[in-house]
Amino acid sequence: MPLPVAGDGLWQEGEARAFRRLTLAWMGTMMFLFSTMLLLGYFMRLFQANAFRTMRPEWFYAVLTLHGLGMVATWFVGGMAATGYLLTRYSRPSIWISRLALAGTLVGAGLLAAATLFGLFGTGWYFLYPLPFYSSGVWPPWATGCFFGALALLFSVWTIWVLDLLRAIASRFPLRQALGWHVLSGRPSLGVPSFVLVATVSLIAGAAGLAAGMVLLGLWAVEWLRSGYSNDALLMKNLTFFFGHIITNITMYLGVGVVYELLPGYAGRPWKLSKALAWAWNTVLLLVVLAYAHHLYMDFAQPRVLQDTGQIVSYFLSVPAAVVSIFGGLALVYAAPMRWTLASWLFFLGLMGWAIGGVGAVIDSTVALNSRFHNTLWVPAHFHTYYLMGVVLMLLGFAHHLAVDLTGEPERPAMRHAILALLAIGGYGFLLAFYWAGAHSVPRRFAAYPRELSQGVAAARVAVVFIALIVIAVALYLWETARRCWRAFSA
Amino acid sequence: MTTARPMLGSVVALAMACLLAAACPASAQDSLGQPANTPPDETSFIFRRVPDITITPIEGSPVTLSALGRSSPLVITFIYTRCGGVCSPFLESLAAAARQTGGLGSAYRILVLSFDSRDTLADLRAAARAHGLAADQGWIFGAASSPDIARLARATGFWFAWHWSSGQYDHPSLLIAVDQGRIVRMLAGATIPPSRFREITDELRGKFVPSYPAQNRRVAFRCFRYTPGGGIQIGWGFLVLLAPGALAISSALWIFARSRGSAS
Ligand code: HEM
Repeated sequence: MPLPVAGDGLWQEGEARAFRRLTLAWMGTMMFLFSTMLLLGYFMRLFQANAFRTMRPEWFYAVLTLHGLGMVATWFVGGMAATGYLLTRYSRPSIWISRLALAGTLVGAGLLAAATLFGLFGTGWYFLYPLPFYSSGVWPPWATGCFFGALALLFSVWTIWVLDLLRAIASRFPLRQALGWHVLSGRPSLGVPSFVLVATVSLIAGAAGLAAGMVLLGLWAVEWLRSGYSNDALLMKNLTFFFGHIITNITMYLGVGVVYELLPGYAGRPWKLSKALAWAWNTVLLLVVLAYAHHLYMDFAQPRVLQDTGQIVSYFLSVPAAVVSIFGGLALVYAAPMRWTLASWLFFLGLMGWAIGGVGAVIDSTVALNSRFHNTLWVPAHFHTYYLMGVVLMLLGFAHHLAVDLTGEPERPAMRHAILALLAIGGYGFLLAFYWAGAHSVPRRFAAYPRELSQGVAAARVAVVFIALIVIAVALYLWETARRCWRAFSA
Repeated sequence: MTTARPMLGSVVALAMACLLAAACPASAQDSLGQPANTPPDETSFIFRRVPDITITPIEGSPVTLSALGRSSPLVITFIYTRCGGVCSPFLESLAAAARQTGGLGSAYRILVLSFDSRDTLADLRAAARAHGLAADQGWIFGAASSPDIARLARATGFWFAWHWSSGQYDHPSLLIAVDQGRIVRMLAGATIPPSRFREITDELRGKFVPSYPAQNRRVAFRCFRYTPGGGIQIGWGFLVLLAPGALAISSALWIFARSRGSAS
């Protein structure tokens, strides 16, 4: 039965329909933004393969900024929308706040596109201080204003949305249950789904990340309004990565929460809230705000204790949650009466992609290795792994699950096989080219590699072949899923 | 009568002043930009395009800046030949630094432009000879029209101000390294230390030379500060770093305390 279930004491028929349509609108937005940003990613890899020799490199950096922020935003809102939808099983997230978030996200995305594509604003997705102030004539001041305006709008609507989902959880579960503390103290799970634990952890952490984003914007404004004060570059860098790292991490967690909730339906077994699971996710809540320190290993003015914390916390953050989720996932499907559909395959492959990307991340967060890999293509390699082959697959799985659930249209096995094969071959081929180049010290964020870095060009040329496979896979997926979503939306 | 004499004196003084102003091209209009005690902020100019002005060198025919820069990168500097102050010692120090670091003429060339509209090519030729640089292929002395000089000065943060009292210009001494039409480095100072000049020439040879802007002293919230010898000091800004976490925890506690979940 599709959610929200009308007449279950929580939702009336009209409201349930409105929430479904809203979730479909979110999924449509997610698919549209994803395909656009994917093509921009393709453009960048072609640029690095020297396909556009006469084009100004400023275009690469503007597109890099839009692609990076656009992708991060797309999957964050995708994860939030899916979480909000699944929460309707237990409580009542606000439709109006979700609508406000959708409108804000669309306007924000438009402003970001204007700042980058018309203004050539090209600082990279995390706009590290003080770069936006030093355009060197590449982008005009209005583009900087437009960019920060977009961020202010996005952070505001997202903060309200995050707090509303927390309110929805709180209306049903006390904090100690939502965080699984009752299980830790030896009591039974009391019907608290593991999805709620993951969502609560992600949302509290998300609130911290967005608060850091707001503080950051405030500090930018103080300097921009010519108060005569400048900001402390190190404080700004700390806040930037506090925000950026948490938002990207919790996007991952929101996706994992969706899998906890939906994969059991395909396996015919529950994914219980166990003691190990509760330990792992409470550890995440405790540590997620500290792990960002691994982005500042090169900053000698950062206290040594924070550098060490960054390394240790990175291990303890990724390992327990990933291990319980991956072993939990494997245990769930092992010898289960599994219904393998496109959605369940995408959930499963997404969990495995998370594990693989996690290994790359743990390697990079080790101080001794980071001194080799810092700012090489290894960095985009690992985060593209847990994004593209992790959370993206999980949330594409969710959209497909929703589309099939709402239309009841059976899927075509041949299409499923083609999509999965192309995604897996294309995705891992594309990523291997990043890893290989990173291991050969090819720097990241380089529009056109000089002769000394010809390995970068070679890797980009290999990558574009694999990206073409991803593009075909996504086109087939959209044909299968977006069509169904549209049908369900207009029904 | 007693009043007529001073009046006559004023009229004569006024007429003389007008005559002087007409005879001397260095009128107030010859000043450009805002005089400042600090040199132009390099970080605001890096990667900016320089305007493609036309230059008349002391040898050869007029040529555009882009054409000059096509064969090698350029280090541009501004002087005026009647300078009784910094220009001569500055050129001497620049020539010495260029000799020590090498590569002049092959890796880059130095373009010395006069910003004074009174300077003729003959004046510039004499200045080049006086410094023993006229025959050196690495050096180009030249002039440009006043509007072109103004465009280039604006694009590079250079300024000059005429001082009636001394009959001299006040101006900074500035080196602007330009590669493929864009500013890649700037250096200000009356003398050029070879070590700093090497940074410029290395940059023009395509080597990566890190440079950091000096920070404003009025920093709003400092979190950690490195002090050589004194380790790392923690400042108030550290509290700003704790704020997001504290805000998130307090709002979560508040939301859960208010709602008191219905499940048991
Ligand atoms: C097939 C799909 C994709 C392609 C072809 C692609 C391509 C690229 C390329 C070429 C870069 C620049 C790498 C560099 O030289 O530094 C990049 C950066 C980036 N990509 Fe992707 N990408 C894809 C998917 C994704 C996804 C799913 C995300 C999800 C968040 C993502 C987020 C980012 C981010 C955050 C950056 C860094 C931007 C920056 O450095 O400012 N990409 N991508």
